Order: sequence, then structure tokens, then C-alpha cells
Amino acid sequence: MKKFLVLFMAVLIALLPIVGMAEGVSLTMGSWRADDVEQMNNLLSIYKEKTGVDITFQPTNPSDYNATLNLQLEGGTGPDLMYSRSYATGLELFNAGHAGDCTDIPGLHENFTELNLAPWATEDGKMFAVPFAAVSHGVYYNKDVFAANNIEIPATFEELLAACETLKTAGITPFANGVAEEWDILECFFLGMLPNYVGGAENRAKYESGELKMNDENFVAALGDIGKMAPYLPTGFEAVTYNDSQILFATGKAAMFMDGSWTSGTYGDVEFEWGVFALPAPEGKATAICFHPDLAITYNTATAHPDECKAFLEWLCSEEGVTAAVANLPAGYYPLSNFSVTFTDEHANEFLALNEGKETDARFVWPTLMDLYAPMNQAVIQVLKGAMTAQEAGDSIVAAFDALQ
Amino acid sequence: MQQSKSLRKFGASLRPSGWYWMLYLLPGLLIYVVFMAYPLIASIQLSFYTGSFGNRTFVGFQNYITLFTDPTHSSRFFNAFGHTWIFFAIHMVVQNMLGILFAVMLTNRTMRGRSIYQTIIFLPTTLAVVVTGYLWKLILSPVWTGDILASMGLGFLAQPWLGNESTALVCVALVSCWQWMGIPTMMFVAALQGVSEELIEASSLEGANSWHIFRHIKLPLIKPVVGIVTILTFVNNFNAFDVVYSMENANGAPNYATDLIGTLFYRVGIAGQHPVAIADAGLGATIATITFLMLSIFVIPTLIKTQGGD
Amino acid sequence: MLKTKPEKRTRSMKVANMHIPSHLVLLLWSFIALFPIWVLVVNSFKTRLSIYSNPFWLPTKWNFKNYSDVLKSGDFLRYFQNSLIVVILSLAIVLIVGALAAYALANWKSKLSSGIYFFMIAGMMLPIKIASIRLLDLIKGLGLLNTIWSLVPIYCAMGIPISVFVLTAFMRGVPAELTESGFIDGASRLKVFRVIVLPLLKPAMATVAIYNLVPFWNDLWFPLIFISDEKNKTLLLGVTRLFGQYQTDWSKVLAVLALSALPVIALYLMMSKQFIKGLTAGAVKG
Repeated sequence: MKKFLVLFMAVLIALLPIVGMAEGVSLTMGSWRADDVEQMNNLLSIYKEKTGVDITFQPTNPSDYNATLNLQLEGGTGPDLMYSRSYATGLELFNAGHAGDCTDIPGLHENFTELNLAPWATEDGKMFAVPFAAVSHGVYYNKDVFAANNIEIPATFEELLAACETLKTAGITPFANGVAEEWDILECFFLGMLPNYVGGAENRAKYESGELKMNDENFVAALGDIGKMAPYLPTGFEAVTYNDSQILFATGKAAMFMDGSWTSGTYGDVEFEWGVFALPAPEGKATAICFHPDLAITYNTATAHPDECKAFLEWLCSEEGVTAAVANLPAGYYPLSNFSVTFTDEHANEFLALNEGKETDARFVWPTLMDLYAPMNQAVIQVLKGAMTAQEAGDSIVAAFDALQ
Repeated sequence: MQQSKSLRKFGASLRPSGWYWMLYLLPGLLIYVVFMAYPLIASIQLSFYTGSFGNRTFVGFQNYITLFTDPTHSSRFFNAFGHTWIFFAIHMVVQNMLGILFAVMLTNRTMRGRSIYQTIIFLPTTLAVVVTGYLWKLILSPVWTGDILASMGLGFLAQPWLGNESTALVCVALVSCWQWMGIPTMMFVAALQGVSEELIEASSLEGANSWHIFRHIKLPLIKPVVGIVTILTFVNNFNAFDVVYSMENANGAPNYATDLIGTLFYRVGIAGQHPVAIADAGLGATIATITFLMLSIFVIPTLIKTQGGD
Repeated sequence: MLKTKPEKRTRSMKVANMHIPSHLVLLLWSFIALFPIWVLVVNSFKTRLSIYSNPFWLPTKWNFKNYSDVLKSGDFLRYFQNSLIVVILSLAIVLIVGALAAYALANWKSKLSSGIYFFMIAGMMLPIKIASIRLLDLIKGLGLLNTIWSLVPIYCAMGIPISVFVLTAFMRGVPAELTESGFIDGASRLKVFRVIVLPLLKPAMATVAIYNLVPFWNDLWFPLIFISDEKNKTLLLGVTRLFGQYQTDWSKVLAVLALSALPVIALYLMMSKQFIKGLTAGAVKG
């Protein structure tokens, strides 16, 4: 044991790192996008070539990002630059004095619309981050399976149900979605279809103020329609995880998958043709799209290099920066600035084209109703499991809303 | 006996004062106080504060009152509290009973392949919980294994075990037992190795069957270890978190059916509920403090009962 | 009586010594224990999608890339090394310090010592995560942030309560005559500890080591908040790089985590040998 220890100590001392580096400023960037290391490194290397400032991208596994970032910020060991979530979650870091004030970053107000700035703006118009990317929601579908069963892209929700029935009769699982992880059925499916029923930002504000109730006709219709999906989900959807859903779609076992644009990059290697369509509104209503401002970048007020951080954010607001970002953003992420951009990826364009001529809005609960996330999530799942009627589910959401007031 | 008593007295007289023993305690105490006791006490104190980050305000017992009277918080707390007891009971029955059974079998000197069995029993323990969760989700998923089960005529087993509120908790607990089985088995083996062979042989010649031998000879001798294992199981279950996190999610899906004190604490105090993700350190500390008090109430009597008498 | 029917007795003894029911039970459990591990191993040789065509059987096309990627990537070897250093050093400290404390606590009987005993095992009953912020401050103050050394004191502190708890219980079971005979011979307490107590404690120490080995090796939380530097990451922290926000290539994760279990198994085998040796050498007769 003793020898062992002595040996170990020797090894340890020999390994003690002696680090001493200067020369050029180097910054770190925290993120929850662990998938994007390659893309972000490309983007950051473009910036380094231009300015000599070296930024290291240090993503954290997304489920651990909030917890660790909060701790590190409080302990004064946070990264210099960091991804910021939209609305309340990002705002919290600003109110706590960790996220820097970005209001005066040159180009920010010129190159972004008020609408796209709003998710990262405080009530008194200060900006706590520079908008970086949005995501969209839609139905991925297997073109080969659709063709083999003579199914056209449905134009109404009723047509969608008919298509599901055809597929089910043919022995194919219509939708890949499941509820095991809970978040995906709400964020991808229900909030993705909700604008079809309750409209865009204008009506959302009425629900937020209490003028409209979340058990009114439109809202209950949305809950009822997601309930109609239950027979078309995989057998045992109660235990189907998000990963399972992706695999079910990618292996052709399920014909459709209601999901976000962020996964469009993951079906590059599938053995069939696929496309996306907007989840259609029921007869007599206009189809709308959930186009969600997802991520922005801000700086840590405790950074040793605030000027370099701001310079980087300024670059992200410029046409040059946006162009570089677009070239390196992962598929399914869309810039929020006013510069017109084109994507090389076919599916990225396809997703974006869904927005044309339609109303778009952020995910319903994000702007001010985040506390309704969990109750709404449970309500949707209970409807799918048949444990609640749509009306009961609506009532339960209203009860949760009232309890918050 | 007489002799040993006098020896003991003699030994006692040779022993220097108790303070000398402090020298032996010091290194452990130092590390423990600096890196555990002090940070823990300083954090527990947060249960009297509200707010996050730099702007904390003192609120007295408000967090305790909230936890027990606010309908949402108290129902979550008692829900998780109840589940933790079920989780503990399943571990006691499945993990520890089987652990004793395996240990009895593995300490039989005429049994072949004992070390192989013991290693196999231990193997699941070496896996990271994230991989255990993935593997069991895969195995229990009706989507991926339904066809295979049906081809074996076992189609009725293809159920969404982890997705049903009635079965999820039991499944997660059994997977946890599966993973940690090696630890109690190992500890019971250690205890049973010490049981004298002559004693057992003598009683078996007197006609005692193996149950009697176990009940009247082995069990009393391993009583202290049973106590240790019970306490460790109890303490671990009240801090259990990873297995639920990796098999379900931090909310204890479905519909909080697998929510334990550990996941509740993580969600409230450390990470914040998805996707709001704003943690309430004060309320988290309150949950931890109450858990600590309950554990002490259980652990100290058990300790005295099983370890005492010397 | 024994001598009258020697044949019958040997035959029945033979049958009894085959322990058929025991083997059946243990074989059944072995199957339950090994089946998921089988699933782990076979699927680590597949690709992201081919896992799901038949998750329980051998791959139709073997994919060695998962393993060769890991072994080729210098990072992962470095992570292995980091984890190994942290875990072994922490275990060594936990054992030595714990054994010394247990020796004192079992021999020194006073109110103060039982107070210290309860104080030290109280640490088992609180989730250490709650103290994360203080620990971060502390580690920062010590200048250990972003080094693998930041983990050692935390793991030691985490291991000490269990170490003290289990070792003290074992120490109390050691007949006082054994230690006292040492004192009578005029040996110093340290010598008694080294020559008599330590060998007796070996099996218990192996238990403690194995008990702590797994949580130390598989801890993700503290590396996550202390270490962001690529080259100082531990193995499990390095693995999280393979998890995406929305998608994960599980075949690759399975390969890395299968490899990551190997050192734990090796350490277990090493320590369990120690454990058996200690038991026979110590030979405490009941």
C-alpha cells in the first residue's frame, strides 16, 4: 500500500501541469448545444482569423446546463460568453447581475426587428442578449410511405386523421411521437399545433392577461384534437422516449413525426426520401406555425475581457457575422436578423418555406406563462392516455392559471 | 473470560488519556469538517432564506411552512416521501433478502464457482447509471422488444412498464436492486465468512437443518452487518436520484409516479423545473434538512439496536 | 453412528455438496445480471440505427469504429488516466484516514468520542450536492479549480462517513484481547495499529473501497462544475460530449461506457482478492 502511494505521488507530481500562456485574448463560451461543437468551432475560427481573439466553445450536456451554469456564475467561475435562453429563464440571469447589458451593442437595434428582440428584452427595453437562432416545428413525413399508400400532404386536420387511418390499416405506425419523456409531446407536438387553434401573438396576449380562458372552445378543440392522435401513436407510446421516436421515424417504422426543425440534420443517412409539412389546422381555420426564438448569446458581467466579448457580439449583429453564422449553423436553426440569407440545406429551406403566408408565434407558454408548462404538459398526456377529457384538461390548466394569480 | 477481563483492565490502565486518540481522528476530522460538515451546515442555513444568487433575504421558517402548507409543494413532497418509502421497502425485500440468500450460498465452502458467481453478481454495479437506464429502457420498451416477445409467445409482457403510473416505480426500484445487488451480497459474504465452521458442523451433526443453522447461528452473528446494510440502504434511498433521472426524467415521470425525495430535491433546489430552470435554493435546503432529520430519527435507534451491546 | 453407514453418508454428502438448488438460483440470477450486459456489449458493435432492428442479438454487420474511435482519440485515454488517478488517490486517503479514525473510535470510549462518531456519520445523511456552491468557493479559494485535484478532497469527504461507519463497526467486533496483547508487549499504539489492527481490518477496508469505488468513478456532478478544461476532464464528463441536446449515438456511448467499466471491474477483482486474503490471514475465530 505504501509503495503504491509513493509511486502514485511521484506520478502525480510528474503530471502536475505547468500552464502559462498569454498572447492574444482567449475567451470561453458556455452552451447547452453539445451537438454543435464542430459547427461552432468553425464559426469561432473565422472570428479568430479576423481578430486574433480565441474563443473556446465549451458546451455542457443540455440537461445539466442550467444547474451547472447557475452554480458557476454564482461561484464566479462562469464562461466569458454564454448561450442565453429566451424570456424568463434568460432574464433571471440578467436580473441576478450575471448576464451583461447588450442594449448598446452596435447594430443590434438596426439589424433585428422588435419582434425578434423581444424574447431577450426586459420590460424597460434593455437587451440581455444578442439573438442568435430560432427553431421551427412541423411534421416530418416519409415520402416513400406516403407514395406507396397514395397519400397526399393533408391540407386540413381532418385529412390528416384520414391519412393516419389509411396508414394504420396498412399496418404502419402513423406518428412516431411518445410521452415517456413528457417535454417533447408538449413542446414539439401540442405547442406546435396550438397556433392553429388559438391564433398568433395577439390572441396569446389575451390568454396571458386572462381575457381568454384556456378552457374556451378553441383551446379545448386543440386538446381534443391531440387526443384524437392517441390511436395513431406507436403501441405503448406511454413508454416511447424522444430517442425512440427519432429511431422509429428514421428506420421507416413510423410514417410521420411531429417535431422541431432542430433534428432535420439527423436524418441525413436514412434510406428513404422525406419532407416536412405544416401540421394542418382543422377545416375553417388558418394553419399557423410555431416559430420559436430559441437561443441568444450574452456575456458574463464577471468576465475579465468585457470589451472583447462585446466586440464578438457586435460581430454577430453585423452582416458579416450573420453570414458566417448562417454558413455554420446546424441544420434547422434560423438566424433572427433582418439580413436575407439562403441555406444550402434543402430541408432547412423546406422548413423555412412553411412560414410563408402564415402567422407565426413563439411557443405559447414561453413569453409569460412558463409556470403553466408542467400543468399543461400533464394535461396533454392525460388526454392522450384517456385519463381526462379535453374539457377536464382545459379546466385543469385554468385552475393552475388561477392558482398563480 | 476471567483472564480476558483482567487483561482488559490492564490494557485500559496502559492507555493514555483519550485526547491522545484525537491524533488518530484528526486527519479524518479535518478533511470531513472542511469539505463536508462546514459546507453542509452553511448550506442548510439557506433554508431560512429566499431568493437566489446575491439577493437573498432572511425569511425565518417561511420555507418550512410553504413546504407543508402550500398545496402544490406539500402534495409533491408527500408524494415523493411516500414513493421513497416504497422504494426503500423494495430494496429491503429484493436487494437485501436476496443479498443474504446469495451470501449464504456463496459462503458454503463446498460450493463450486463461488468467486465467479460473486463477480457476476457484482458486474452490474460497475456500470454507469446512465447506461443502466438506457439498457433497461430498451429491454422494457414494447416498441423494440414487442416482436421478439410475441415470437416467444410472451406478447402479453410487451407493456409500457415505464410509462404506466402503476408500474413505473416498481420497475425503477427493481432495476436499482439489480444494479446494486453486489454491494449487500459482498458485505454479507464478509460477515458470514467470519462464522466459525466448527460451530456449524457441530450443530448440523446435532440434526439442525440449514434453516435452523441460518436462523439461530448465522443470523445473530451477522446482525451488526444487517444493521449496517439497512442503514446504508435507507440513507441511499433517501438520496436516490440517478436511477430515476436516467430511466424516467427529473420530474419522476409519468405524472410524478417515480418522484423520490432525491429527484424532488434536485428539481427544486439544484436545477429548477424544466424548462423554467430557476432553482429555489432555500426550499431545496428545506427539503434536505427535513430529510436529514427524518433519517436521523430512523438511523440512530437502528444503530443503537444493532451495533450496541458492547 | 458415522462409521456404521459410511457409503450412504458419502453419497448423500456428494449430492448435498453439489448444491443443485443453490446453483439453480445463482444461475438464474447470473442470467438476469448478465443479460443487460450482453445487450450492452452486442449493441456497442452496432450503429446508431441498427441497434433497434434486434436489440438482443449479435450485429449483422460488426462495427468496430465505436471502439477504434475511442482508443484512437488521445482525449479518452487522458480521461481514463485522470479518472484513475482521482479515484485511486481518493480511495487510498479514505481508507487510511478512515481506519485511523475507526481505530480511535472503537478504543476510546467516552461521550466525546461517540459524539464525534455520530457527527462523522451524519454526513451520509445529507445530499452533498446541496453544498455545491460552498464547495465551489472552497475549491476556487484553494486554487484547485479546473484541475483534477479539485475532486480528491470532495471525494475523500464523501467517503469518510461510510468509511468511519463501516470500519468502526468492524473494529468493535475485533476482540479486545488481540489489541491489548499488543499493548502488553509494550508496542506503541501506532505499531499495534500497523501490525495487528490493519491486517484485521483488511476485509472491511476492501468492502469500503469497493463501496466507494463506483460512486467516485461514475460521479458526474463535481467534474461538471469544477472542470471545464478539456485535458482535465474525467472519463464520465468526457462521455457527456457524446450526448446531444436532441440526439445521441447510443452505440458510441455504449462502447465508451463498456470500456469505462473495465477499470472498475479490474479494481474490484484486485480488492476482492485482498478481501479473501485478509479473511483467511486474519482468521478471527468467532
